[in-house]
Amino acid sequence: MAVILVCAVFGVGSVWAADNSHVASLRRLSEQEYRNSIADIFGKDIAVQGMFEPQVRMGGLVATSTAVLSVTPAGFESFSKMADSIATQVTDEKHRGKLVSCNPKAANAPDDACASEFLGHYGLLLFRRPLTSAELRARVNLAGAMTKSSGDFYAGLRYGLAELIQSPNFLFRKEMAVPAGGKAYTLDPFSRATRLSYLMWDTAPDAELLKAAEAGDLNTAAGLEKQVDRLLASPRLETGMRAFFTDMLELDTFDNVSKDALIYPKWGGAMAPSAKEETLRTTINLALRENGDMRDLMTTRKTFINRSLAAIYDVDFSFGGDWMPYEFPADSGRSGIVTQVSTLSMFSHPGQSSPTKRGVALMDIFLCEPTPTPPANVDFSVINDTSGPLKTVRERLMAHATTPTCASCHTHSDPIGLSLEGFNTIGGRRLTENGQLIDLSATIKGTTFRDGPGLGKYLHDNPKYPACLARKLYAYAKGVDSEEVDATAFKAAYKNFTDSGYRMRALLKGLAESPEFFSTPAAIQDASAEQPTKLASH
Amino acid sequence: MTLRTSLLGSTVAVAAIAALAQPAASAPWTRGFVVGTYGFAFHYGGRPESAETDPGADCPRGSSVHFADEENMRKALVQQPWRSKEEIDNIIRPPGIEKARLPTYVRFYVWGRAASYRGWRKGIETYVNPFAAPDPGQPQVTGRIADGLNLDGKVKPTDFVGTDGEKGIDNALYRAWGCDAPFRNPASGTLDLRENTQMQEGLYTVVIRITGNQDPRNDSDATVEIGYSPDKIVRDAVGNVASDYSYRIVKSEQYTRLKAKIKDGVVETEQVDRLHVPRIGWFPDQMGDADFHSGRLRLKIDADGRAAAGFVGGYRNWLDLLAENTFAQTGAEQGIRDHEDAVSLYYALKRNADGMPDPKTGRNTGISMAYRIKAVPAHVVDPAKPAQVRRPEEDEKRRKGYEMVKAAMLKAVSTRTVQEVPLGTGEGQFPAMERTIADLPSKDFFLKTLDAPGKLDENGKVIMPKPKNEPPRQVTNSPATAVASADDDQ
Amino acid sequence: MTLHRRTLLRGMFQGSAAAMGVPFLDCFLDSKGQALAATGQHLPTRFSTFFFGLGLTTSLWVPKKAGLDYETTSQLKPLEPFKSKMNVFSGMRVMVDDNPNFQHWSGNAAIATGIAPTKASQFDSKTIDQTIADVISRGTRFKSVAAAASGDPKHCYSSLGGANTLPADPSPMALYTRLFGPGFQDPSKADWKPDPQVMLQQSVLSAVSDERKDFMKNLGAGDKTRMDQYFTSVREAELQLAAELKRPEIVAKVAIPAAPGEMPVNYALPNVRTVTPLMAKLGALALATDQTRVFNLAISEPGSNIFVPGDPLGYHITTHMEAIDQNLGYQPRVAKYNVYSMELLASVLKELDGIPEGDGTLLDHSLLFAYSDQSYAKIHAVDGIPIMLAGNANGRLKTGYHIAGGGAPVSRVGLTVQKAMGLSVDGWGKGSMETKNAYTELLA
Repeated sequence: MAVILVCAVFGVGSVWAADNSHVASLRRLSEQEYRNSIADIFGKDIAVQGMFEPQVRMGGLVATSTAVLSVTPAGFESFSKMADSIATQVTDEKHRGKLVSCNPKAANAPDDACASEFLGHYGLLLFRRPLTSAELRARVNLAGAMTKSSGDFYAGLRYGLAELIQSPNFLFRKEMAVPAGGKAYTLDPFSRATRLSYLMWDTAPDAELLKAAEAGDLNTAAGLEKQVDRLLASPRLETGMRAFFTDMLELDTFDNVSKDALIYPKWGGAMAPSAKEETLRTTINLALRENGDMRDLMTTRKTFINRSLAAIYDVDFSFGGDWMPYEFPADSGRSGIVTQVSTLSMFSHPGQSSPTKRGVALMDIFLCEPTPTPPANVDFSVINDTSGPLKTVRERLMAHATTPTCASCHTHSDPIGLSLEGFNTIGGRRLTENGQLIDLSATIKGTTFRDGPGLGKYLHDNPKYPACLARKLYAYAKGVDSEEVDATAFKAAYKNFTDSGYRMRALLKGLAESPEFFSTPAAIQDASAEQPTKLASH
Repeated sequence: MTLRTSLLGSTVAVAAIAALAQPAASAPWTRGFVVGTYGFAFHYGGRPESAETDPGADCPRGSSVHFADEENMRKALVQQPWRSKEEIDNIIRPPGIEKARLPTYVRFYVWGRAASYRGWRKGIETYVNPFAAPDPGQPQVTGRIADGLNLDGKVKPTDFVGTDGEKGIDNALYRAWGCDAPFRNPASGTLDLRENTQMQEGLYTVVIRITGNQDPRNDSDATVEIGYSPDKIVRDAVGNVASDYSYRIVKSEQYTRLKAKIKDGVVETEQVDRLHVPRIGWFPDQMGDADFHSGRLRLKIDADGRAAAGFVGGYRNWLDLLAENTFAQTGAEQGIRDHEDAVSLYYALKRNADGMPDPKTGRNTGISMAYRIKAVPAHVVDPAKPAQVRRPEEDEKRRKGYEMVKAAMLKAVSTRTVQEVPLGTGEGQFPAMERTIADLPSKDFFLKTLDAPGKLDENGKVIMPKPKNEPPRQVTNSPATAVASADDDQ
Repeated sequence: MTLHRRTLLRGMFQGSAAAMGVPFLDCFLDSKGQALAATGQHLPTRFSTFFFGLGLTTSLWVPKKAGLDYETTSQLKPLEPFKSKMNVFSGMRVMVDDNPNFQHWSGNAAIATGIAPTKASQFDSKTIDQTIADVISRGTRFKSVAAAASGDPKHCYSSLGGANTLPADPSPMALYTRLFGPGFQDPSKADWKPDPQVMLQQSVLSAVSDERKDFMKNLGAGDKTRMDQYFTSVREAELQLAAELKRPEIVAKVAIPAAPGEMPVNYALPNVRTVTPLMAKLGALALATDQTRVFNLAISEPGSNIFVPGDPLGYHITTHMEAIDQNLGYQPRVAKYNVYSMELLASVLKELDGIPEGDGTLLDHSLLFAYSDQSYAKIHAVDGIPIMLAGNANGRLKTGYHIAGGGAPVSRVGLTVQKAMGLSVDGWGKGSMETKNAYTELLA
C-alpha cells in the first residue's frame, strides 16, 4: 500500500514552543497508560500503588475523555504520592545500581553532572521528548538543593525525579501541531512518536521510536513505515490492542454491574473479571494471533474460559491451566462475542435480561449507531410486571413498542436484544421464560434473523460493523469523539482494512500511515471549555 | 418496522425447542454432583417443638448429657472407687476458682483431666484405654425408624424401618450413637453442623459421577464413581454450594467405581466388598478413607436433575470410628463440651457391632452404618495431569499426632494392656490443665492428686521422652503462655 | 497558668490513688475557658480498631433491609444512639484458599490484613491499623497505641506482620501512664518540631508550580481551563503541606483526668464493663491531644473468655456447649453474651463521641473499625463475621448504611477503610480476597 506523505520538514529540537506551533491536544494519561509507561521506563518491579481518577465515556470511548478531563486536588495528591513512591524506589539501594547510570563524586554532596545525566535521561523518556536546557537546569538545581538539605545525593535524585513524574509534561500527552504547508497542520515528530506508541503499545515511546523521531524518520514515508511495521510485529501490540478493545467493547461497564443474588446466586465476585478476560482473549486471539477476519468476531464459536465461566456456560473445565480454549458446539446458540457472558451480562438488569439495553449497546458499539435516551415520563411498570398475562420480556416490550413515540427508538434497538433472549442476564442459556417458549426472531429494516448465530451473521454481513470498528480506532488514536469524525478521515485506513480481508493489523497500518493520522485542526480551539456533554447512559 | 406480535405457532421456534429437548434415549450420558452435606445418617425422632436434648421417639431419655453439669459430672466421677469424696468435690468445684484469671478454663481443664482418668484403678487414661473403665452408660436409640441401607439383604427383628417404609435397614451405629448429643439432630447437632461448615469452607471436597449408555432416569447399566476432589467447593452469592462448577475426581485411596442400576431417577449401586469413600470430619486429622465393607450407595436424583440425596453405607471397623470421633481433638474436649462420653461410645459400639467378624475370635469388628449425602450438579472431570488432594503442612502435623494417639488406643484395646498416652498431642488435657491452673490457689491439690500423662520441668515445659520420632503437636500449646489460649480448646 | 510537668508527675508518684496536680489543663482553653476555636486548619483523621471475640448471632443481628434506614435488630440495639454515624457489614466472606481455616484466627487475621494466614496466631502482613499509621501518624508521639480490656498484653491484633503483635497496655493505669505519665508532651509547647520530610516535599511541589508558565503556552482556551484546574490542584497540595509545618492546635475540648489507679482487670464481665470505657476514654484523649492518631482496643481474645460471675462456663465454652433452642432457632445464653459485646462497643463510641472537637466530635473526625473472629462461634464458621465502622472520617465516609455483602470478600471493607482514611491505594488483599473494589457508595 502506498501512502504519500506531504509534510513540511522542520528542525527537530527547536520545535518546542515555536511561535507557529500550537497544542493540538492535551490528553491525560489513563491508569493503564501511566502504569505501562512507568513499567517500561523503570522496570516491572517498581510498585505503583495509588488511586486513579475515573474517566468517562464519550462517543462510545473512554479514550475520548482524556482530552477533556483534568486533575482534581484528590487526583493530584495521589499522583504526587505515587511519584514520590516511584522515585524513592528507583533511587533506593536495591535499584540504583541498575537504574542510576552514573556515580556521584560524593554520596552526600550535589553532583550536577551525574544529576544532569540521570534527570536528562529519564526526562526524555517521561516527557516523551528531550528536555530543554532550561527545563533540565531547573531540575538539576532542585536536586542539588534537596541534596544539600538532606545530606544525601540520592535523596536529591529522588526529589528531582519525583518532580518529573508529577509534572504535567508526563501526566498529559501534549501533542504539538506544526504547519504542514498551506492551511494544514500536522504533529511534530515527538508527538507522532507519542501518538503511535500509545495506540500500538499503550505506553510511552521507547528509545528506538524516540530516536526515529529525533532523526526525522517519522516524517518520511519509509521511515514511518519502518517504525509502524516494527510496532505491529511486536508482541507488545497485544497490550495496545487489549487497551483499545477494553475501551471499544466497554468492558469497564463491569465496574457497575451487580446481579440479584437470590435469582442468580451463581454470579459472584470472580465472574466479572473472568468474563472480561474471556472477551479480550477471544478478540486478541482472532485479531492478532490468528490474524483473522475481524468480522468473524461476530460468528466464531471459539473462546477461552476459566473454571468460573465454565459454570455459567455449564461445560466441563479441563483444569489444564487457569484458562482453556473452548469451542462451543454448533447447536449451542453461541456466536462470537455478542453471546459471551460479558456482553450478555453487562447490558442487562440485575434480575432479568434486557433486550433494550443489549440492543442499544450493540448498535452503539458495533454499528456506531447510538440510541437517544428515553423520554422523561416513561412508565416502566408494564414492562416489569411478570405477574400479568404477558409472560416473556419480549411480549412486554412489544406491548409498548406499538406506541409511536416509543417505537422509533425501540424498533431501532430492540430487535438485536430480542434475538439474544435465549440467554439470561448472567449469560446462561435458556429456552423458556416463565413457562413460555422464547421467540428469538428479530427484524431490522426488513432483514429478519433469529437467535445468536442469526444475529452474528447479521452483524458479520453488515458493512457498518467494520466501518464502525475503523471509526472507533481512529477516534481512540486521536482522542476525538467518534460521533463527530468525518468518514473521509479514515477512508484510507478503511480501504486497507477491507482490501486485506478485514485484518486488524492492516487496519492499524493503514491508519498509522494515512495522511489523516497526524493531521490536526488548523486553528487553536477556542470558545467554552470542553466539558463532557450529556452522556448516553447504557 | 414490522415486529412479530404473535408468539405461538412459530414453526421455527417449535423446531428449535424440539432439537434442544431431553436427550433421546440410548445415548451415552454423564451426570456429576458435588456433595454439599455429608454426615452420619441419623434420624431425629424428637418432636419439633421440644428441645433437642429432650426425649423423643428415638431417644426415650433424650440425648446424652455426660459432664453437662455438676450433677452429671459427679455421676461420672463416683464410678471410680479410688476417688475420695474430697477429690470429687474439689474437681467439681475447684477451691478458690474465683481467684483464677480464667475460671471457666480452670473448670474445663480440671474436669477434662478428671474425665480422662476413669479407670478401674488409678493412673489409667481411659480415652486411650477405654476397656479399663466400666461402661458409663450410653442412652441408645429405641425407635424403629432409621435412615440407611439394607446391608445384609435380610429383614431381621433388630433391623430398622426406613423413613420411606423400606424394611431391613441396617444402621447399628445409629442405635449405638443416635442419642449422642452432638449428632442427634442433623439440623442443629453441633458436630453435624461443624463438619458440614468446615467441608463447605474448604476442608475437603467429595464428588460423585454417574455415567450410563441408556437414559439418566432409567438405566440398567450405569456406573457410579465417588471420591475426593482436589478442587475447593465453590459457594454462591447466598452461601449455598454453587451448581455446575467443574471438579476433578482423583482416583486416590478414597475412590471407588461401582456398577449401578437406575429406575425413575433412583440410583442403586452394586454391593462391593470394600467401598472406599472420603470420611466425614471437621478437622484435618479425620480426613481419610471410610472403608465400608459390603458397601453400597443409593442416590435419588430429582426429576430435573438439579439435586441428589441419598446414602453411602456399609460396615466400618468400629475402632476406627471411635478413634476418628474421640481424637479429633482430645477425648475430653468433646466430652466436657458436647456432652458425649467416648468411653460409653466405645461400649455402645462394642455392644451393637454387627458385622465383619474376626476370624479368630468371632467377635464383630464392624458396625453397620451409613453417611447421608446431599449433592448439587457439577461437572466432574478426570484430571488432565495427575492431581492430588493437597494437605497443608499445618494439617499434616496435626494428623501425625492423631495417628499416634489412635495407634495407642488400638494397641490398648486389642491387647487389653494399658498403654501410655503419647505426649505432645494434648490428649488428657496435658499440659493444658497444668498451665491453666497456674494461678489457682488450690493448684497443688490437683497437681498432686490428679494423674497426668507426663511431667513438666521447672520451666513448665513438657518433659518429652527420648525422641525416637519427633512427636508433633496435635493441639497448639505455646510454652510461654501461662494461661490457656483459644487454640487449646476448639 | 504555667503547668510544669513535674507537677503532674508528683501527683502520680505519691500513691496509687494519685491526687493529680490539676484535673483540668487550662492551657488548652482560651482566656474565656472556651475550647480553642477551630482554626480552619485541616483536622487529622484518627483511626481506631475495636476487637471483640466470638461474633454475634446471625438471625438476631443482621438487618433484613440493606442500605439506609435499615431496621435496628435486637443485637444492634445497644448501638442505636450511634446508628447514623455507623456502617454495618453483613454477609462478608473469608476465603482461605489453600490455607487451613484456623479456628479463632483465620477470620480476624483476614479482616485485618486481607490475607488468609498460613500459620495460626500469625499475620501474613502488616495489619491495617499499621498501614494506616504509616501514613497518618507522621510526627505524633506514638505511632499507635493499643490496650486490652481483658488484662492480657498479648490480646492485641495490631502487628507489623508475622507472629509478633504490638504489646497492649493491660490496664487503665498502664495506659494512663504511657499516655499522660512521663514523656507527656504538651503540644502547645514551643519546642515542637515539624517533620523534615514535609519541607522537602514542598520544594518539589513548588517546582511543579513553576512549570505553569511554560506549559500554558500555545494552549487553546479549553485546554487552558483544564490546566488551570491542574495547577490549582498543585496549589492545594502545597497548602496542605504548609499546614503540616505548623504545630497542631488542639481544637478538642478536653480535660486530662486523674490517674485511674489500680483495679482488677480480667475476664469477669463487671470488670470488663468498668475497664473498657475507661480505656476508651484514655484512648480518646490520646487521639484528641494528638499523642497518637491510631488507637487499638480489644475486649478479649478471639475465643473470648469473658464470663458472667456465677456462670461456670463463660462465653467461649458456652458457644460450643449450649444447644440451639429449637423454638428460637439460636443459643439463648450465647445471644446474651453477644449483646454484651455490643454494649461494650457502644460504651467505646460514647467516649469518642463525647469529646467535642471543632464543629463535631472526635468520633466524627475518626474512623473506628470493629470486627470479630467468627460468624457462628459454635462451629467456627467464618462466613458473615460481623464488621462495623463508626465515624465519618472527617467527611470522607458516608454513614448510616447496612451493606449486605452477599459473599463479597472481607477485604473490600479494609480497602474502603483505607481509602476513607486518605490512603492512596488501589487494591488490597491476596488470593481470592484480592480486590480493587471498595464500597465506593460509601466514599464521599
